[in-house]
Amino acid sequence: MAVIEVKNLGKNFNVKLKEKGFMGSMKSVFQPSYKRVEAVKGVSFEVQEGEVIAFIGPNGAGKSTTIKMLTGILYPDGGNVKVLGIDPTRQRKKLAYEIGTVFGQKEQLWMHLTPYDNFKFFGAIYDIPAEEVEKRISELNDIFELQDIMNTPVRNLSLGQRIRCEIAASLIHRPKILFLDEPTIGLDPVVKDNIRKLIKKMNKEYKTTIFLTSHDVSDIEKLCKRVIIVNKGTLVLDDTMENLKYHYLNKKIVELKLAQKIDFSNVDGIKVLKQKDKSIKLEVDLKKKSLSDVWKLINPDDIIDVNISNTPLEEIISDIYKGG
Amino acid sequence: MLMAVKNQIKVTLVSVKYALMREMLNKWTFLMNVFFMILNNASFILQWIVIYSLKQDIGGYTFEQVLLLWAFTASTFGISHFFFRKAYSLSDTITYGKLDSYLVQPKNILISAITSEVDASAIGDMLYALIIVLISKLTMWQVLLFMILSICGGVILTALAVILASLSFWLNKSDMIADTGNNMTTHFATYPEGIFNGIVKFLLYTIIPVGFTNYIPVSVMTNFDWKLTLMVIGATAFWVAAAFAIFYKGLRRYSSSNLMIAKI
Repeated sequence: MAVIEVKNLGKNFNVKLKEKGFMGSMKSVFQPSYKRVEAVKGVSFEVQEGEVIAFIGPNGAGKSTTIKMLTGILYPDGGNVKVLGIDPTRQRKKLAYEIGTVFGQKEQLWMHLTPYDNFKFFGAIYDIPAEEVEKRISELNDIFELQDIMNTPVRNLSLGQRIRCEIAASLIHRPKILFLDEPTIGLDPVVKDNIRKLIKKMNKEYKTTIFLTSHDVSDIEKLCKRVIIVNKGTLVLDDTMENLKYHYLNKKIVELKLAQKIDFSNVDGIKVLKQKDKSIKLEVDLKKKSLSDVWKLINPDDIIDVNISNTPLEEIISDIYKGG
Repeated sequence: MLMAVKNQIKVTLVSVKYALMREMLNKWTFLMNVFFMILNNASFILQWIVIYSLKQDIGGYTFEQVLLLWAFTASTFGISHFFFRKAYSLSDTITYGKLDSYLVQPKNILISAITSEVDASAIGDMLYALIIVLISKLTMWQVLLFMILSICGGVILTALAVILASLSFWLNKSDMIADTGNNMTTHFATYPEGIFNGIVKFLLYTIIPVGFTNYIPVSVMTNFDWKLTLMVIGATAFWVAAAFAIFYKGLRRYSSSNLMIAKI
């Protein structure tokens, strides 16, 4: 069952233009000019119940604008959005009871209150009876391991602890869909990993649909089975992670340690990424040259060590962003 | 519907309680704020004592009426700034995209946005109004009337602040307009009605609603009149309706932002 249905979604912003310097400022007062920026252009997709989906793209691609239209923060200029069958612009409050949001860049918790008081406050916002709130706080406490920080004001928590509390608070009303906008921004690798485990856990335990935006490829690789890539306001790819890797992995990275130096610089289909004495790192384009072709260029007795790996997902995504 | 209103009131009170808890974290700053606001207001009354020692009637007001005028100014300002402090920084909230967190909550956006902060010094204003009420030896009926009219006035001032701040949906840097409008209202509210004539007086009963927050209330407290009392209540309903209508009209133009923001 599709829980998110987006058809031809569009959003424009008018941006005021100003010429350089003081005279430019004067001119913009009397003769203002505006540029129309199409932040989102005819984006369409569907998300099924229980999916963990990555919605990614470079800065300014229209990710946050789309998420904000899905959650009722922004009004679309065109197209249709249905989240759990609800129109976010017409029934914002009804939708708010069904979804949770975590914006990594924006604080939703009250900094001077403890996580416990914040959870109580959010319980009141979602009209949850006091007894039920206590039950859910204890449940979240167990899942997110908050016992040591439950009574510490949020402002005294580390960033990782705060994000844990942000996610926990967004689940107090047991939302069916959770929108996570860069939830791991600024976190160290260990904390990032913990947050990912928690996201996986709640998807498994509560069957929560996760809609994630992130610039961190590890988030996408470790959490999501499907990826939607947007660039310059348009959808450029909507595929499973498996297909993405299969179709775009037509390059291999070959690292060699040789007994004697070999020159690969003029070989078609091979790009020398790095070379230091007899150690060399190559990128082999499998469409032009197979790995056996590469071996034919080397005397097997000269190979001291070899390592073959796939192109990192980060590079694949970066190529897609660039239209590669 | 009734349940929704009840829940909204509950959340609003919890929000104000938590905002007050934040202010009380710094006990001494909190107490000093309250004390100095009382002192600040009292200094203006000294000025009026000097003026009335020279002349018995200023703008048709006796000294007792000027005291009442100041009581209304302090109580309406105090109520508005204590319960709805964020209405006075709503321009920033709109301009810097800080409405997002209220928009994803299942409650009224405007009420949630303007009740998430309290101004501790506004307690000083309310206490100051209470002191004047006590020394004015009002009857119980007059005290009740004073409270009703003060609540109406506080709500009107808040509605004006919301309308001025909502200009930010259409205009850049309109926080300056909002500040000027709000300050102007406070300034006019501290002078007797009779000193203003013509167009200024017209403005004081229209776009600068001091007539409904101060002048009519002072008149009703001196000579009770049902019609004038109902007029204040009607004006309150009108200003509230206008504030909601303009804010929600502007909200369609809200463009959010991606600034790194903390709710401190």
